[in-house]
Amino acid sequence: MASLQTLSLAHLPPDLAVHIALYTDLQNAPFLRDQLLQGNPDFEYALIDASVIISTTHVLAAVFRAANDYLNGRLKSRNVHSEIVFSLGANNNIAQSLRTFGIGPTSTTLLAIKLATTPAITPSTVSAHLASSVKGTAVAFSDATLATTADVGKIRKVYKLGGVGGGGGDPKGKRRRKDGSEEGSGGGGGGGGGVGTAGLDGEGERRELEVAILGLMALRGAV
Amino acid sequence: MIALGLEGSANKLGVGLILHPSKGDAAQILSNIRHTFVSPPGEGFLPKDTAKHHRSWIIRLVKQAMKEAGLRVEDVHCICYTKGPGMGAPLQSVAVAARMLALLWGKKLVGVNHCVGHIEMGREITGAQNPVVLYVSGGNTQVIAYASQRYRIFGEALDIAVGNCLDRFARTLRISNDPAPGYNIEQLAKQGRHLVDLPYAVKGMDCSFSGILASVDILAAKLEANHGGWMDETTNEVITREDLCFSLQETVYAMLVEITERAMAHVGSSQVLIVGGVGSNERLQEMMGIMARDRRGSVFATDERFCIDNGIMIAHAGLLAYETGSTTALEDSTCTQRFRTDEVFVRWRE
Amino acid sequence: MELTNPAPPQPTPLPPPFTHASPPPTLLTQGAEALLYRTHFLSPSHPCALKHRPAKPYRHPILDKRLTKHRILSEARTLVKCRREGVSVPGVLALDAEGSGNGSGGWMMMEWVEGRTVREVVVEKGKSGEGLEGLMGKIGRAVGRMHEVGVVHGDLTTSNMMLRPWSASVQNGTRVMNGDGDGEEARTVGEILEGEIVLIDFGLAVQSLQDEDKAVDLYVLERAFGSTHPEAEEGFQEVLRVYGESYKGAKVVLKRLEDVRMRGRKRSMLG
Repeated sequence: MASLQTLSLAHLPPDLAVHIALYTDLQNAPFLRDQLLQGNPDFEYALIDASVIISTTHVLAAVFRAANDYLNGRLKSRNVHSEIVFSLGANNNIAQSLRTFGIGPTSTTLLAIKLATTPAITPSTVSAHLASSVKGTAVAFSDATLATTADVGKIRKVYKLGGVGGGGGDPKGKRRRKDGSEEGSGGGGGGGGGVGTAGLDGEGERRELEVAILGLMALRGAV
Repeated sequence: MIALGLEGSANKLGVGLILHPSKGDAAQILSNIRHTFVSPPGEGFLPKDTAKHHRSWIIRLVKQAMKEAGLRVEDVHCICYTKGPGMGAPLQSVAVAARMLALLWGKKLVGVNHCVGHIEMGREITGAQNPVVLYVSGGNTQVIAYASQRYRIFGEALDIAVGNCLDRFARTLRISNDPAPGYNIEQLAKQGRHLVDLPYAVKGMDCSFSGILASVDILAAKLEANHGGWMDETTNEVITREDLCFSLQETVYAMLVEITERAMAHVGSSQVLIVGGVGSNERLQEMMGIMARDRRGSVFATDERFCIDNGIMIAHAGLLAYETGSTTALEDSTCTQRFRTDEVFVRWRE
Repeated sequence: MELTNPAPPQPTPLPPPFTHASPPPTLLTQGAEALLYRTHFLSPSHPCALKHRPAKPYRHPILDKRLTKHRILSEARTLVKCRREGVSVPGVLALDAEGSGNGSGGWMMMEWVEGRTVREVVVEKGKSGEGLEGLMGKIGRAVGRMHEVGVVHGDLTTSNMMLRPWSASVQNGTRVMNGDGDGEEARTVGEILEGEIVLIDFGLAVQSLQDEDKAVDLYVLERAFGSTHPEAEEGFQEVLRVYGESYKGAKVVLKRLEDVRMRGRKRSMLG
């Protein structure tokens, strides 16, 4: 499929390529999840529910972290692909992160990521395998498509970021939170910026949220 | 010109005679002798006993120094003494002796800041031009750099001095105070292998040692209760008193090197000079050397003759002041327990 | 005696994975414990700052690892907290507090902050002396916001504050989105004071609610102003005035500052 993208992340060895495909209208989430649960070696991917991914930077930061830990022989989970899913999390609970960010039986969007840890993993092998295994609509892996698949309310809840960026990057907006109007996060409602709205305010909010998430991922529980 | 220097701010009584040749040549040490009051293991030196020690030895030491130097009274230009900082009673006993000699011989008095004495002697002996100075002893922990006629304190211990921390831990372990508690800790530390976790207390260029002492004292009590060794839960290693001495040294010296490096980066200097009694510790010198090497700089230190309190440094710093016209009138020849390094106007430097 | 001979110049090597970065990171500053580089995050179009804390060979390796890890995490924690609570600081992009294990130390990548340091701005502007009041007010507000959320910087100087042009903060709130990556714009003299204060370098920061700690923070800044910008010293009153109005506890801290000033840095030394 033409929609598979192969990138190399800055600073990582060029041969450690990152193959990424994004799907909407996913039809066979239960099957894919079963392959992971059974530990089918053909399905060693990071299979991520795209609704909890806010941007390309968000997910690639997790890839970067997992790859760095992989290169340093410091994986905490089974392999570098489960480590990518674990690296999306803001704490050290591996099972919880796999549950939160990994594909679930009801997932309708999917981000499939494969790291070229051996020379046998090439764009054509990955592409062919995904084409035969994933039933869904392949779309471009980009900030624009992720903006349509992301569930910002859910993301805020997952990272416990109820108030961040709620005012769309306006400093006065952040002060509003102090008044309590948006306090008591936890709830999925999120900020007043409006979920999924385009335009400058939505853009500023998304970026503020993204940077808060990257910080939490980097700390991973060491808060 | 020739100066007599008398030092007795702590448990060492030192008498020294120095000659500054006319213009530019290196100072000559004519004599430098010392007598130390050593307290029994498990005890520190008390002011009263220390002062008594100084009173009973000072005449002998001055006579011996004059004899060693082959000097007559008329050769001496001034009498220099430690004005402070230090312990009150010992300081007083030496100040009284200095006044007596000044009156008896008809010489001018020069009161000297003890810390400045260490710095100037260190510079003279090592040839370090404008170093960052780490002054570490039983009473002082300071990181100092010179700027416009003052030795400015960039960082210091906020509670007890590093030497005091080591001395008190030696008392906890009932290590001998002869020749010095810190020296004996250093010998034990050489046999230590395992690093135990101790607090590390650096804040900017300042540091503190009382929390570390409290922690290592607790571990020492644990050692006592377990007949000389216990198993560290995380490493499964048997921890001994040697390990505690080792861990204490590694921790406190790392702190000292860190604040020194910060001061060097701050003032843009590549030279370090270590002075004060703790400065004779070989591990501290080694660590400082590694740090300085990595900064493409160099470290200077003196041996125990000059590191440990002595009379020659008082004579030297006093004579520097005397040569620029500074003397201390008899009625001002007091001493003081508190006397900050940066209070001294350094007239003799550019 | 001299104990060491100066070694030949030998730059501190970059830690993995930055050893083969292309283009290579540019060294900006080298402090006592950290080196600051400009590099990029996941792609060359995403500029970032890289702070490397190299291993200190003079320390026992166990102690060294413990301190490096603790300091990287502590700095990141403070930045993340500030950012979440709306204080303008660079966001944390990634970190490795343990390094690659062979004495490489640890590192942290942060958002790149466009603009110039307040120090540079004041030095340039100070000659004419005009128009600094607005900038002073912004500094007071920025420090006040940070104190309000319970963070004390520990090393407040005009070199640790950036003035980020408004245009850059809108475009590069998180990163440069579209290509050129260079926020340097043509400036007219009147425009150089426009922008937002971003506080940087939280290497010595602590989380504290104590008035004393906050007052000392202000005192350090006041001293730094006095020594670096004697011509702008009067302007510091405006920093304090706006600080005093920036949050509820600020007035008490200003009162405390008077005590700290009286005391100075002086502590009497016991011998």
